[in-house]
Amino acid sequence: MRRCTSQTKKRIFLIIGFVLLGFVLFSIVPAFAQDMTDAEYRPFPMIGSRNAAWIAAQLHLLFGSFILGVPMFAVIIEFIGWKTKEERYDRMAQEFIKLCMGAFSTTALLGGVLVFILVWCYPKVLSKLSGIFGPTMIFYVVLFFGETFTLYLYSYGWDKMQGRHKGWHLFLGVLLNIWGTAIMFVSNTWLTYQTSPATQYGKLSDQAKEGWLEHTLSQNPELTRAEVLKEVTDTTVINLHNETTGEFLGTVMDAVNNFTWMPVNIHRLIGNIAFGGSIVAAYAAFRFLVAKTKEEKAHYDWMGYNGNFIALCGLIPLPFAGYWLGREIYMFNNTMGVNMMGALFSWLFIIQAVMIGILFIGANYYLWSGMGRIEGAEKYARYRPIMIAIIVICVGIWMTPRTLSSISSASEQTAMGGSNHPHLGLFGLMTAKNTVVNIVILTTFLSFLFYRRSGKKPTANWKKLGNIIISSVFFLGVVVIVVIGIVGFAVESDVRVNVLTPWQVLVALAVMVVVTIIDIFMYRKATTSGTIKWGEMTERSQYVLILLAITFTSLMGLMGYARSGLREGWHIFGVMKDTSADAFTPSLSSAVNMVSIIMVIFFALVGFIFWLGLWGERKKQKAVPTMESEAIAEGND
Amino acid sequence: MEETQSVKNTLLKIAGLLLLLVSFIAFLAKAPAFPIGSENLLPWSVWFLIAVLLNMFVWGIVVKLMTYALGVVWFFALIAAWVPDTSTNTGTVTELDWSDPDAVAEIGLAIFNGKGQCSACHTLDTSAPKGRCPDLSDIGNNAANREPGKDAKTYLIESLYEPSKYLVPGYGKIMPEVWKNPIALTKLEIEAVIAFLQSQGGEIDPTPFDEPIDRKEIGTAAEALPPLLTGDPEEGKRVFIDAACISCHEIQGLENPKAGEGNEDFEVVTAPELTEIAAFNELRYLEESIILPDAEIVSGYGSVTVIAQGVTYQGTLVSQDTEKIVVRTKAEDGTETEHTILLSDLDEEPIEDLTDLKGRGYLTLTITPIDADAPVSGEIVEESDTTVTLKVGDETQTVSKIDVKKQATLIDFDGVKTVGEHVSGTLDDFEIVIIVDGNEETFDTFDIDTDNSVLASASGKRLEVKSPMPNNFPDLLSFREMADLLAYLSTLTGATAEEETNEASSDTQEEVTE
Repeated sequence: MRRCTSQTKKRIFLIIGFVLLGFVLFSIVPAFAQDMTDAEYRPFPMIGSRNAAWIAAQLHLLFGSFILGVPMFAVIIEFIGWKTKEERYDRMAQEFIKLCMGAFSTTALLGGVLVFILVWCYPKVLSKLSGIFGPTMIFYVVLFFGETFTLYLYSYGWDKMQGRHKGWHLFLGVLLNIWGTAIMFVSNTWLTYQTSPATQYGKLSDQAKEGWLEHTLSQNPELTRAEVLKEVTDTTVINLHNETTGEFLGTVMDAVNNFTWMPVNIHRLIGNIAFGGSIVAAYAAFRFLVAKTKEEKAHYDWMGYNGNFIALCGLIPLPFAGYWLGREIYMFNNTMGVNMMGALFSWLFIIQAVMIGILFIGANYYLWSGMGRIEGAEKYARYRPIMIAIIVICVGIWMTPRTLSSISSASEQTAMGGSNHPHLGLFGLMTAKNTVVNIVILTTFLSFLFYRRSGKKPTANWKKLGNIIISSVFFLGVVVIVVIGIVGFAVESDVRVNVLTPWQVLVALAVMVVVTIIDIFMYRKATTSGTIKWGEMTERSQYVLILLAITFTSLMGLMGYARSGLREGWHIFGVMKDTSADAFTPSLSSAVNMVSIIMVIFFALVGFIFWLGLWGERKKQKAVPTMESEAIAEGND
Repeated sequence: MEETQSVKNTLLKIAGLLLLLVSFIAFLAKAPAFPIGSENLLPWSVWFLIAVLLNMFVWGIVVKLMTYALGVVWFFALIAAWVPDTSTNTGTVTELDWSDPDAVAEIGLAIFNGKGQCSACHTLDTSAPKGRCPDLSDIGNNAANREPGKDAKTYLIESLYEPSKYLVPGYGKIMPEVWKNPIALTKLEIEAVIAFLQSQGGEIDPTPFDEPIDRKEIGTAAEALPPLLTGDPEEGKRVFIDAACISCHEIQGLENPKAGEGNEDFEVVTAPELTEIAAFNELRYLEESIILPDAEIVSGYGSVTVIAQGVTYQGTLVSQDTEKIVVRTKAEDGTETEHTILLSDLDEEPIEDLTDLKGRGYLTLTITPIDADAPVSGEIVEESDTTVTLKVGDETQTVSKIDVKKQATLIDFDGVKTVGEHVSGTLDDFEIVIIVDGNEETFDTFDIDTDNSVLASASGKRLEVKSPMPNNFPDLLSFREMADLLAYLSTLTGATAEEETNEASSDTQEEVTE
């Protein structure tokens, strides 16, 4: 039985205080901003307005991702613990939520700081946005209250709501995720609208349709209504603004349902799982490295494995969601899409490829290291060199720049016969990159499969046939993906973007689904040939977990710069021009330097929060020799 | 001995940590390599690597992990520092120095690769794989041969302003109009890009050109438009009739085909005759009169709405002097009446916004400064953004427009009016506080008819004269129609009408003779 200590009470009051502060700020934003008619921008001391907003927004987003991502898998792990009656799962889920609690108040605090900075530095922008999104801001605050109280009930009611109340506790966990997801969806409307203030005709409200029609007729008086409507289909891109005055023509829902809203929602939802998992894994790695006892090491090895597993579950579908987002950006504005992948941000995507390459190589390395502590996993070791070679070659192709004109000398270009290498230049094209991404994903999935099979012997009498089918599915899948990739060189970009690449994605997903189903049935009654020796993981592998967490975080920072930078000199793309001194997209190196500074601040804050948690637990750890850790040390995954 | 070793270790640890932090910050700040005397020693990235190695050896696990984490972050920054840098910060082009065409082309190149985003689709390398748009490595040379009769510069100008006009075979209509949002290149920037394109295998031609577009379409007119003298007068005459200008404006010799039919879209009023309009006015005035009808109103044709002693008069302002105005009103049966109204009889209206009072037609002002008990009332003499000078009796008095006591006139849904000095809240808030008869009273805005209630900063007498002409002609007429209309109006010097009248009378004579 747990009692609410005075420290806990203080923490609750602190959180409620921050939430109320946020509510007050959101309530006064429109009025406050309207009164600042003479000040379009105000400088932030020392570091400038843009940097201040950048730091606060990115930190808020990182902490927000963590507190939204962790409950998603915590509730699933709790459910597994409830159904399997294995208490260690329940305890691990509770430990995840404790980490979440520590980060919650920091998220609220950073949100408050961000609003302060925006109100002070960008009153006109905020006034414009709140004029359009006012109702959603109130809704956001209501959701935040729901999230806060549900999280506290969920966390502090954990021990009390065991046994027959467990179902209700799980319901709270699900509710917490509903609040959290809704919060993210609402806040995503504001920033996605800034990037893509347009939607498709079929999604427009009647009011917006009429407003757009009138505006179009006033711009083209020679046309009639029928002539205008004749040219329009449900997928026609419709700007939500009067092109000349910038006046908003639609309803709140039109602005909410803008081009990039749902792709960003899904991308972030999956990304939060991957990010949350990686941070939890890094926490476990840290605890593993500083652990004094075998039991502790066993516990945190197990936790790190689960964190990494969750991160990989998020990482594998993430490129698909990213692809959808990219496609929507192209559909919204072709120039913006081209700018993103082929011009201003093309080198950013090379760095992204380096980072994702590190993530995949690191995740695979961790799995292979993990197989070292499973008896009977040796038989898979012979495949490792081939898999390493495949991943490295694929990542190399992924990192190939589109042209070398920016990094090669005139003599080098003459020797090459142009700014593109005559053969390797082909790898710089999107069709090649899409192909290798799918192959890397399938290779990582294969590592998973080997890990899952390690130490087990299938008893199904059709196991040989099953293995042949699985191998054939993998082989055929890869062949189809490569063939589609080769065809992609010869077709128009429209066909590639809208037909071929989605097919590649579907083939990769189909392979994973089919193989998983066959494998589950094959190993349903498998015998165990060796146990997992938890705690015998190498120290190197723990450093890899930390590397993955930092890379995930840096990647989020980098892509945040890309998403925001795509607007270039606009607060709201094509509608509200940025007339401040910062009305340009900063250079890549400057942006990455800023991301680096944010990373240092983020990890310093996370480290401090984790350290606070550790501090409180020290006495308890001395007093309670963990039975649970012993159980893990003997158990399986 | 051991103690000395321990001190050495501690110093080494501190030095390692300091070097780690300093070199990390210096690297991010792009500081020059660490100098000793006048010679550079090592780049900061190398110092950072040394610090990482040192700290990994001398420190315990916690600092070791911190160092490792910082090293990973630094690694990504290092990759970003290696790859080519691109930014849209190409600066603002305010003028081009045509005495040095190569320098102009350099600016054009920066725009080509930056703000203009041209390099996203166009290559400058014949050996490059086929891009989305044509390769431009020899465009300065072959632009002259693309279209018969078009020189290179004309071809480039037309291609940039209207990209779909000339399509190179094998390429689609994907190029955006770079002068429009979101790329929104200015004329100077386009000139620089054209100079750069001409430098690719050709000669740069510095001859200035007029933009073949209307920048008002994007709401950001960067420069004054050239006079619209390129229209067709005959087409303009058709526009004058079709756009119903003829319903109000008379031109001798031009008949209104719909005379007497009235117009559903706007009220037909008596407007100035235009037979000789171009004889006494510049084209720019005609253009302004169509785009901004209120900018200058011909005496005797302005439309006014005034309230005097509770009676509203809406009609044409016939005449005005320092004491009175004459307003001609028209009854529903068409009967016209002229009313002489003393300016002193005009009713005061509440004023919410104190900006540009004179421009909005206010003659007098009654205002209560924040530190005064009684209001100041007088004729408006002059005003600035923050103050207004009033003629009070024989003296002038300057008062602030900002620090004023506001007067609230609140009307509830039963029509009950409450007037008092405003304390806090607005009509958009949940409640509003005012002082009535020395007592502070709070009103719930849900109980107030906010459409009819007023929160006024002052009150004053107003005489706002407007043109009765609709102000949406810029929206109704296309660029071409506007040019044609102006071309037609510019022919109206009186001579045309005389000729037409003469022709008409001679025709009549001939008919009679026959």
